[in-house]
Amino acid sequence: MDIFGSFALLLALGAAVYAFAAGIAGILTRRPLLTKTARNAGMGVFGLVTLAIATIEYGFFTDDFSLSYIVAHSNRALPLYYKFSALWAGQEGSLLFWTWLLSIYAFLALFLNRKKHPELMPHVGVALAGVQIFFLTLNNFVTNPFRVLGGLDTFGTMHIARLSDGSGLNPLLQYYEMVIHPPILYLGYTGFTVPFAFAMAALLGRYPGEKWIHITRRWTMVAWCFQTVGILLGAHWAYAVLGWGGYWAWDPVENAALLPWITGTAFLHSVMMQEKRGMMKVWNVWLVFVTFMLSILGTSLTRTGVVSSVHAFAESSIGGWFFTFLGVILLVCLAAWWKNRDYLRSDNQLDSLVSRESSFLFNNLILLAACFAVLWGTLFPVISEAVTGAKISVGPPFFNKVNVPIALFLLLLTGVGPLLAWRKTSYDALKRNFARPLAGGVAAGVLAFAFGFRQFYPLVCLTVSVFVTLTIAAEFYRGARVIASRDGTNMLYALGELTMRNTRRYGGYVIHFGIVLIFIGISGSAFNQDIQKEMNVGDKIALGPYTILCQNFDQPSTNNYSSDRATLEVFRNGKSEMMLYPEHRTYLASQVSETIVAVESRPLHDLYVVYAGASPETGKPVIHAYLNPLVKWIWFGGIVVVLGTGLAMFPSRRAKLVLRPAMERAWGESASSKVVPAGAPVFRSEGHD
Amino acid sequence: MISGIPRSSSAASILGAVLLLCALSPALQAQQTERAKRLGTKLMCVCGCNQILTACNHVGCTYSHTMLQELDERIARGDSDDLILQSFVQEYGRTVLVDPPKTGFTGLVWVIPILAPLMALYLVGELARRWRQRALLSPAGGPQLSSELLERARRQADRQDVE
Repeated sequence: MDIFGSFALLLALGAAVYAFAAGIAGILTRRPLLTKTARNAGMGVFGLVTLAIATIEYGFFTDDFSLSYIVAHSNRALPLYYKFSALWAGQEGSLLFWTWLLSIYAFLALFLNRKKHPELMPHVGVALAGVQIFFLTLNNFVTNPFRVLGGLDTFGTMHIARLSDGSGLNPLLQYYEMVIHPPILYLGYTGFTVPFAFAMAALLGRYPGEKWIHITRRWTMVAWCFQTVGILLGAHWAYAVLGWGGYWAWDPVENAALLPWITGTAFLHSVMMQEKRGMMKVWNVWLVFVTFMLSILGTSLTRTGVVSSVHAFAESSIGGWFFTFLGVILLVCLAAWWKNRDYLRSDNQLDSLVSRESSFLFNNLILLAACFAVLWGTLFPVISEAVTGAKISVGPPFFNKVNVPIALFLLLLTGVGPLLAWRKTSYDALKRNFARPLAGGVAAGVLAFAFGFRQFYPLVCLTVSVFVTLTIAAEFYRGARVIASRDGTNMLYALGELTMRNTRRYGGYVIHFGIVLIFIGISGSAFNQDIQKEMNVGDKIALGPYTILCQNFDQPSTNNYSSDRATLEVFRNGKSEMMLYPEHRTYLASQVSETIVAVESRPLHDLYVVYAGASPETGKPVIHAYLNPLVKWIWFGGIVVVLGTGLAMFPSRRAKLVLRPAMERAWGESASSKVVPAGAPVFRSEGHD
Repeated sequence: MISGIPRSSSAASILGAVLLLCALSPALQAQQTERAKRLGTKLMCVCGCNQILTACNHVGCTYSHTMLQELDERIARGDSDDLILQSFVQEYGRTVLVDPPKTGFTGLVWVIPILAPLMALYLVGELARRWRQRALLSPAGGPQLSSELLERARRQADRQDVE
């Protein structure tokens, strides 16, 4: 089995090398056959890596403990779904999984465009193959997951050892979200390779106009959406599994996932400048390049041990490979840009500072500032150690101090930007669009202050959130009202019609609303409460409106783990409301413990209870309870963001030809000729925005 | 017996002092706990979880409990905040501090994130100014002509002049 998998990987590397070399030869010699075979080889990589993945998964399911990777990450008692997800539990498997997801994207990009863009696609194929060569080299020669246990004897004969059982899966990964969180996050990371390949191809091939932007918009949105969901699932996993009552700790690995998300967000906004006004071409190309490089950096930070993190894989020698690859990418990007920089000249100039263009400029500036601050804080311990020789920590307070004001300003721009017109916004338009939302936001802030809301940042967050929500609502209302009055339909139908006519614009608003919900949810953390107490049966603790009564302690167990569990009854106003069962599990194969948090999640707050183990002094069980306001809003906001992204990717419905009543007769008369009468006003959708 | 003070009144004052101490001790403890919480947010757990000391409660952490105990002991001993933080730095190294020192090279971690956006803001402002200037200087309306086209037009005009 190991030989089968290894050969599949080796052949995949061969296919990628052929796709790369034949692709370049095809471009230089302009021989279509070469280009075609290069493309087919590029698509073939997917099939070969799939074989390797299927082989190792088969090994997991059949408990093949001759493979060292399976021994390290599985055991017989492990449930089947965790045997499936154990593939990405370690360095070797997760890198193979990365390569597989990349090969899916490459296959789709090459297959779906096989009859389109003949000038562009050969370059795209070469760029994709180049990235695949790097990862397949790692899979084959550095982190091969098909290494067997055993060795050569004195006669040079290979003997394969097979253990009776494995060490088991890391307990922190034995949680249902871990089955879906890494694949989704990796789909985000790997997905940014496609826009990178198209951008590089357009630059090298000097592809005309903004075509590459149109082609890659959906690819970028798909990757961005996966990255968003991956980050949120990771946050939810940290919240539900790590048991410290929070969801974001500014851990280097969390930050690494955030970096390409930020630059990807900047790209999705600034790209509109290029589509609408032919501006920011250099910026857009570099944003795509940087997003891809940050994806690779993020992937490497988890694996190289450069920064310490609870999420990271063991330290390894893989860092040199990744940093060399990053250096090569940077050089290729610089060379491609320098050689073709005249192709990236702007078609238009900025007409006014009070315009949509300038709001995008500021949006990008702020996003990049946030990205830089996160990157700086993440890498500073490494820089400081290199310069001063002393290790330091850059903890969560640094990131909060720097990023909270930036994030709030960004939130404000989320409301301001869409209401500004392209080219120039008049003072009257400003007043008309902003007066009510601004008044609403300020009123909400004043009310909150009057009701005793005194913390500065949550107060600002609330004010800005209400302002942004009102601007979004006003945009929907204005558009729907026009359609309703013109077509004589009700507002609800008009709202649907409006949205479907310009899915990109209104999908974008839905995403913005989701972001507002996430911000509100995060601001709730300023009001977290917690209490920790040693408890015996019959003991009570009070937290906020709740009283928690300890009913029982027991030790349920399965063949995978043993557990200490508390049975807690929660009362509110003297009435029993719910039962909670926080656990402290010890996994039998690895003898590693973890918490299983009991969370009662409600719209206004989460009651979050941790069985924190036994007190070392008294031996009594310790219960740590948290009351975390508005956490549910974060997850709900994430769902809204996904729905908005789906909507924005959906093709807009074609605009109907709508005629004014006065003209309808004329139209009726000439209907037989199927010609629109001259002068008839035709209302079209506004196109993307 | 304490000279000059009757035995019964001495016993009463000791009892009073003990009772007062008992009455005050929850308040004292509460103050200490608050201080421990505050100082705990200035320290990192050194187990590698990258969390502040008071937030690290993950099962199996071999450091946080001991560190919190140490913190409580030092507070009970009456050490000042600075002394406590310094003693932790001596014991665990500078990585134990949540915030890097604001002086020397590590001060850059605070300065750069403020300077960089300001610099970027200036650059964007400058870019916007140049774009506007160019927009004002460029002739109003009409398509932009390529240099070849312009040259051809000039040649044609020259020919017409000659004719």
